[in-house]
Amino acid sequence: MGTIAAMATERAIIHVDMDAFYASVEELDDPTLAGKPVIVGGLGGRGVVSTCNYEARKYGVRSAMPTSRAQRLCPQAVFIFPRHDRYAEISAQVFAVFGEFTDDIEGLSLDEAFLDVTGSLRLFASIEAIGRQIKLRIRERTGLNASVGMATNKLVAKLASELSKPDGFLRVRPEEVRATLDPLPVGRLWTVGKVAEENLHRIGILTIGELVRCDPARLQRALGRQVAGLQALARGEDERPVHREVAEQSISAENTFEVDIADLAMAEAWLLRMSEKVARRARDRQMKGRTVTVKLREPPFTTYTRQAQLPVAGYATQDIHQLARRLLHAWWTQQPRPRLRLLGVGLSGFGERAQNDLFQPAASAPQADRIQDRINEKFGAGSLVRAGVLKTRE
Amino acid sequence: MQFSIQREVLLKPLQQVVGVVERRQTLPVLANLLVQASGERVSFTGTDLEVEMIASTPATGVHEGEVTIPARKLFDIVRALPDGAKIDVKLNGERVALNAGRSRFTLATLPSTEFPVIDEIELVERVTLPEEVLRDLMDRTSFAMANQDVRYYLNGMLLDLQEHTLRCVATDGHRLALKQTQLESSVAARRQIIIPRKGVNELVGLFETGEGSVEIEFGRNHLRVRRGDVVFTSKLIDGRFPDYEAVIPLGADKTATIDREVLRSALQRAAILSNEKYRGVKLELSPGKLRIVAHNPEQEEAVEEVECETSVSDLAVGFNVGYLLDALGALRGENVRLSLRDAQSSCLLQEEGNEDARHVIMPLRL
Repeated sequence: MGTIAAMATERAIIHVDMDAFYASVEELDDPTLAGKPVIVGGLGGRGVVSTCNYEARKYGVRSAMPTSRAQRLCPQAVFIFPRHDRYAEISAQVFAVFGEFTDDIEGLSLDEAFLDVTGSLRLFASIEAIGRQIKLRIRERTGLNASVGMATNKLVAKLASELSKPDGFLRVRPEEVRATLDPLPVGRLWTVGKVAEENLHRIGILTIGELVRCDPARLQRALGRQVAGLQALARGEDERPVHREVAEQSISAENTFEVDIADLAMAEAWLLRMSEKVARRARDRQMKGRTVTVKLREPPFTTYTRQAQLPVAGYATQDIHQLARRLLHAWWTQQPRPRLRLLGVGLSGFGERAQNDLFQPAASAPQADRIQDRINEKFGAGSLVRAGVLKTRE
Repeated sequence: MQFSIQREVLLKPLQQVVGVVERRQTLPVLANLLVQASGERVSFTGTDLEVEMIASTPATGVHEGEVTIPARKLFDIVRALPDGAKIDVKLNGERVALNAGRSRFTLATLPSTEFPVIDEIELVERVTLPEEVLRDLMDRTSFAMANQDVRYYLNGMLLDLQEHTLRCVATDGHRLALKQTQLESSVAARRQIIIPRKGVNELVGLFETGEGSVEIEFGRNHLRVRRGDVVFTSKLIDGRFPDYEAVIPLGADKTATIDREVLRSALQRAAILSNEKYRGVKLELSPGKLRIVAHNPEQEEAVEEVECETSVSDLAVGFNVGYLLDALGALRGENVRLSLRDAQSSCLLQEEGNEDARHVIMPLRL
């Protein structure tokens, strides 16, 4: 049993979210973009916006919107194809800053994380002092702005960073929670999706405050589910712990095609290209995996996955590609009219790398991979690729 | 086609064949069972093109004929009918009617001519064994089969037939399980066949405890097992099984003899604090003593000491505790013998004074 004093101990949770992350990195690397609307996203007919800067948002551009629509809304914008390797590099610097304050970090994406700094309060004056330092150090080391939300749980911390961004900094104390949350549209609440929002609107609930005050029975009829948890969230109550970063479960790469692929040779070329990418990333992180997965999407949206195991955990491009190719072939020959809208390759099963095999010696990266990695490191990703990949650039 | 049958009599053959039918098929007819009525009997066949199972049973009022019926639906209906119900089955045009008391069902059919069956298997060898012996061979080795391994020949079980011995061998590359039995008659030439994983599992599920005997037919590309009213046929995996005899350690001179149950429970306790992913435990041998140590990422620790008969000193080897427990679970007898060489080499686990069951496990690098 915890004592009353222990139970009363409040957690100190920080939510950090980088402002318009991809677009900000692009502005950082190319100063001529300053002041212009910048849109990062897929550029083809089926591309969608990953991020846009605040300048572009003035024209109504939003993330996840088709790029073609963004082009109509804001034709003068600078459109940039995402450079994930570069974003990952900056992200690592940002996460390194988090690590200076706590080990309890739950990364949500490259540019967003929850931090539990309850234990660090003994070393710093207050949660604001920690939040301020994080913001400052990110700014110093990367030149980018982060929005920081602080509260006693994840739900309110995230709302605080959202409410204050861009360049935000907001602490919501327990006694301020209701006043902060109550006027917000109900759709802003975690777990309230589009459907739930519509159902709530239908019974006249527009704000989080109205949701708190609504009769539970009436609410249950409108939503058709248990509502006690939802009303607790609306009151700003959230017990979810900050989950520490778990080891990476899989490394994968996929591509959606401009025009559906109906030619096996072309599908193979893409498969090789993505195998190279996945293997390279696995070697970078020194993560040997045993399971190779191929993801296949037939137009419009039927998705298949096929997986198989490597004899021993590895990260050689050739091993991953060979196995992926076998899976692709097996699928291809089973389809009456094979066509692909999307193709992806993944590597997982990283836990078994310490297990010796009866029939095979432990795998290491072949010389060819090591040379390729060094050249690409020096001259930029994609400088040296296998010849089979070139077909994808036609 | 027409016949009458009691629910329980029908349920048994259906249970035996329905497992072969895959939930998702490449051909519509593979979702169906082939039902054939002739003489005083009805037979049911399920297939996935790799494994075929035929079960037959006596029936009354038989009018000869054959058709295919949706397997899952037929099975579910028969299972849900009340005990002792008498079921009349009759083909009317393209539909089949199932009547039992006040229940009536009409099911769609597909013509039997569309149903793929395996006929001849080009018999090369035939062996008869007590059912219990074959069940034991497969049951105590099948756990080590690989699953979805790119070395497709490991995704199944090797039946190795030579002279007076039949061996079942399964391995996923990390560990290997072998069990052998003596045959009453000897075979002319050595035969090695690999049964696919699914076939092994279906076959093991078919066996019951009892006195009966089973007949194994080794074909050129198939294996067929006859047991009472059931005929099981599986395609073979077309590949070469690795030279498993070469990986059974011979020079493992560092041995320890341990009470099997004591070792098993000590490992089970230590496993609780092993890393969930690697499941590593360290075995440390010193004269008269085996120490088992497990750690997890939270820095928790389990230490177990087990008395054993050994003169080995200063040897520590890491293993996946799951593999050790699987092997111990497949062994019998009071004591087991553990043979080791060094921290990089495989270990051998077997019953004391008996080589019929052998388990080889590769170490973990801890």
